[in-house]
Amino acid sequence: VNSSEWKPSPQSPLYLICVFLPRVDKDRSGVISDSELQQALSNGTWTPFNPVTVRSIISMFDRENKGGVNFNEFAGVWKYITDWQNIFRTYDRDNSGFIDKNELRQALTGFGYRLSDQFYGTLIEKFDRQRKGQVAFDDFIQCCIVLQRLTDVFRRYDTDQDGWIQVSYEQYLSMVFNIV
Amino acid sequence: MAFPGYGAGPGAAPQQDPLYGYFSAVAGQDGQISADELQRCLTQSGIAGSYQPFSLDTCRLMVNMLDRDMSCTMGFQEFKELWQVLNGWRNTFVSFDRDGSGTVEDHELQQAVTSMGYRLSPQAMTCIVKRYSTNGRIRFDDFVSCCVRLRALTDQFRRRDTTQTGNASFQYDDFIQVTMSI
Repeated sequence: VNSSEWKPSPQSPLYLICVFLPRVDKDRSGVISDSELQQALSNGTWTPFNPVTVRSIISMFDRENKGGVNFNEFAGVWKYITDWQNIFRTYDRDNSGFIDKNELRQALTGFGYRLSDQFYGTLIEKFDRQRKGQVAFDDFIQCCIVLQRLTDVFRRYDTDQDGWIQVSYEQYLSMVFNIV
Repeated sequence: MAFPGYGAGPGAAPQQDPLYGYFSAVAGQDGQISADELQRCLTQSGIAGSYQPFSLDTCRLMVNMLDRDMSCTMGFQEFKELWQVLNGWRNTFVSFDRDGSGTVEDHELQQAVTSMGYRLSPQAMTCIVKRYSTNGRIRFDDFVSCCVRLRALTDQFRRRDTTQTGNASFQYDDFIQVTMSI
């Protein structure tokens, strides 16, 4: 094998480091910024990946508050995205590249949420940036991230873990304005 | 352009109502409008005056605010209600936008919110300002978004404050759905 021509195959763990990451890190800074990550990701349409979702993901893995992820942290980002891709493929049962209301209900019920049927319509309406009545990959992730954040803040107040919280008006406003 | 306040009382036919023109121009056969259609409707009506028209996100919030049957659409009566409320908010904003820049400063947002009758702690106000402020200023569209949320959240909270002590109980599933709808 001529060493200068060798490239790891996409299945190899080295692929990420040797081939993919240098392509993503366009300015060769050693840090993947929001816009570099956004360009590397696809939501299944020709529109850019949801920038709010990109920001959420970067901030989840950026341990130094530098506004981007280094190559070490990027491994976490990549696993996170891959996990979401697997979930999305599982629930996109008709393989349309979008998750419709029924598929969304199955996904969230599968995650353990118990939500009314009409509410799924509200969720699609709220998160569907493509205006298709179904959610693309990035908007699906965004929806799940917000649901998770609300759950986390609820849990913080639900100290006896009985599924109920009692909050003052002020607490309620602060909880919600920080998230939605 | 203020709401005329004349003519069409509850018993009058919608067609005689001056607002009906704007509404029917975008509403379909079902007499309901979606967030997109509301956006067009409000832009055409010029209710925002010289301010930038409302974003789709803010329009979605406005539909949700009055959406009692969770249909994600708005009928004509709801539209009328919205119109009056929007006029009030617009007037409040104008009174604080003294330099006519189309924005108000952070502390002016606080004053505006207080002038609308809300009594909030400095911490809660800080949360709200942080959410809507860009470089120390708040635009009209964001101001309306803030007002819609405050009104809807306060409404939801009051319904669950059964003892009227300023404390409300939320069950988890209910909390998720209420908060996400706003």
